[in-house]
Amino acid sequence: MQKLNKSEKTALEKIAVQNRKNVLRLMKAGRMGHIGGALSSVDIMTALYFKVMQVDPQNPNWPQRDRFILSAGHKCLALYGILAEKGFFSHAILDTYGALGSKLGGHPDMHKVPGVETNTGALGHGLSIAGGMAMGLQMDGLDAKVYVIMGDGELAEGSNWEAAAAASHHKLDNLLVFVDRNHLQISGKTIDVMNYEPLDKRWQAFGWSAREIDGHDLKQIVENATDIPFEKGKPSVIIADTVKSKGVSFAENKADYHYWKATDEDLSIAQRELEKIEEGIS
Amino acid sequence: MDDFKDPRKTFGDALVEAGQKHQNIVAISADSSGGSGLTPFRERFPERHIEFGIMEQGVIGFSAGLATTGKIPFVVAIAPFMTARPFEMFRNDLGYMRQNVKVVGRCAGLTYSDLGATHQSLDDIAIIRTIPGVTVINPGDPIDIVKAVHAAAAHVGPVYIKLGSPKMPVLMDENYPFQIGKGVVMQEGNDVTIIGTGTLLCKAVEATRILKEKGFHPRLINMHTIKPLDRELILKAAAETGKIVTVEEGYLAGGLGSCIAELIATEHPVPMKMIGIDDQFCDTGPYEELLAQYGLQGEQIAKTIEQFLA
Repeated sequence: MQKLNKSEKTALEKIAVQNRKNVLRLMKAGRMGHIGGALSSVDIMTALYFKVMQVDPQNPNWPQRDRFILSAGHKCLALYGILAEKGFFSHAILDTYGALGSKLGGHPDMHKVPGVETNTGALGHGLSIAGGMAMGLQMDGLDAKVYVIMGDGELAEGSNWEAAAAASHHKLDNLLVFVDRNHLQISGKTIDVMNYEPLDKRWQAFGWSAREIDGHDLKQIVENATDIPFEKGKPSVIIADTVKSKGVSFAENKADYHYWKATDEDLSIAQRELEKIEEGIS
Repeated sequence: MDDFKDPRKTFGDALVEAGQKHQNIVAISADSSGGSGLTPFRERFPERHIEFGIMEQGVIGFSAGLATTGKIPFVVAIAPFMTARPFEMFRNDLGYMRQNVKVVGRCAGLTYSDLGATHQSLDDIAIIRTIPGVTVINPGDPIDIVKAVHAAAAHVGPVYIKLGSPKMPVLMDENYPFQIGKGVVMQEGNDVTIIGTGTLLCKAVEATRILKEKGFHPRLINMHTIKPLDRELILKAAAETGKIVTVEEGYLAGGLGSCIAELIATEHPVPMKMIGIDDQFCDTGPYEELLAQYGLQGEQIAKTIEQFLA
């Protein structure tokens, strides 16, 4: 486990705010996008890319790298901003989001965007692909790990549970899933639309080692993500409680902001809120 | 046509040979190993044989992930469960992600004649060929099967190979140069071109023999690759013989005949006859009798062609 001291936590919080600003920058360029899930998962992605994973922006296909799979591909605004912040490509590319021919589509394309590992967007694909990666890395005797973010609404896709069973059966303990449990999906509350609770017990029943954390507490994210496998021989899952659209108060906890068509005024208000958060970090 | 071989055993033995040559080949089973001819591979390379149980969506995704780490997965199961059931995984995880995975659908066409429409695979060619970048191979005899396995292993990119189940007669010379995307002229002729594929190539061979005995001069092509289609060979046949007949064990909608019609309708229109299965779920019964019910025996095909030429 990698402990996060106060100054490291503060530094990481500043990066997380910058990554939220990048999400707004993308929204400003494209005018619409899946902002709710991007902002609920951006702290997890920030911790992974800036404290947990071994990746090389200059050599995105480095065979020993850790892999990140955004199974809930619609949260890609967070990923794009983070990959730019990490140096995989220029920030200027963020301003092309939404334009004809941009490398940055509404769902990520590994053949267009350096650092993107999979073409997700259709839900229920990422965990199987991640499992295959984890298996291949184990077969090659590599220490690299595979990290996945799934949505809580996404868990209704049956294919995920095929993958969950297989990852456990094949003892893929180099695999860590975060469930971004923001409690909302496009039609409303996840427990009302299709209730898969209790999530920890479901994953445990499939042979996984599960923990629950605050998905916006960077210290908790880093310290748990660097503590895998939670149990030797088992894949690990973190149920991360999050807030949809976290950081933009008028959009927080509202299913309506799953996909947002933003006005200039909305974006200005959101930008000012993030600046306030940034000023408050010390 | 007196040397018959089991297509699944032929496939399995070929995969062992390919596995010796390519150390990164892994065999993926969805509770389908023994029935898919994988037993020799599992015995020879136990650490490279991975069992998943009955999860056909999962195995496609896992195979895509394995391929990203440099493995060459061969995923084998009953054809509809490798194509229709996990279609979106095939399209996104293999096609869109351009992963080097070989999917083998066995007991395809009507070869599960007794088990009915759930297990018969008549739409696999039609649906898989819509996926950009996927190579589709439908071997016409045991020689083709062996060559297709080696060609697929050497080819970088997603491949679908369609296999039957009953024993197939050897039709091709084992030294012939198999090339993905290149059809083979088995018989020269000038009054019609018969293009056969897969499990019905042998019936097309028989029909050709009957027509020759009746004084016709049919050209016969083994079209073992559906995609990419051998445009040059087909357009040449259209120009030189003026009529085209296609023979396949699959739906007319979207199959080989449909592929060829798409080509010649725009590039060199000539009269066509497409022989295959019309828009229906098929009956059950003994395989050869079932083929006869749908007009797919050699004599019936010859008669259909004779009427077409009249």
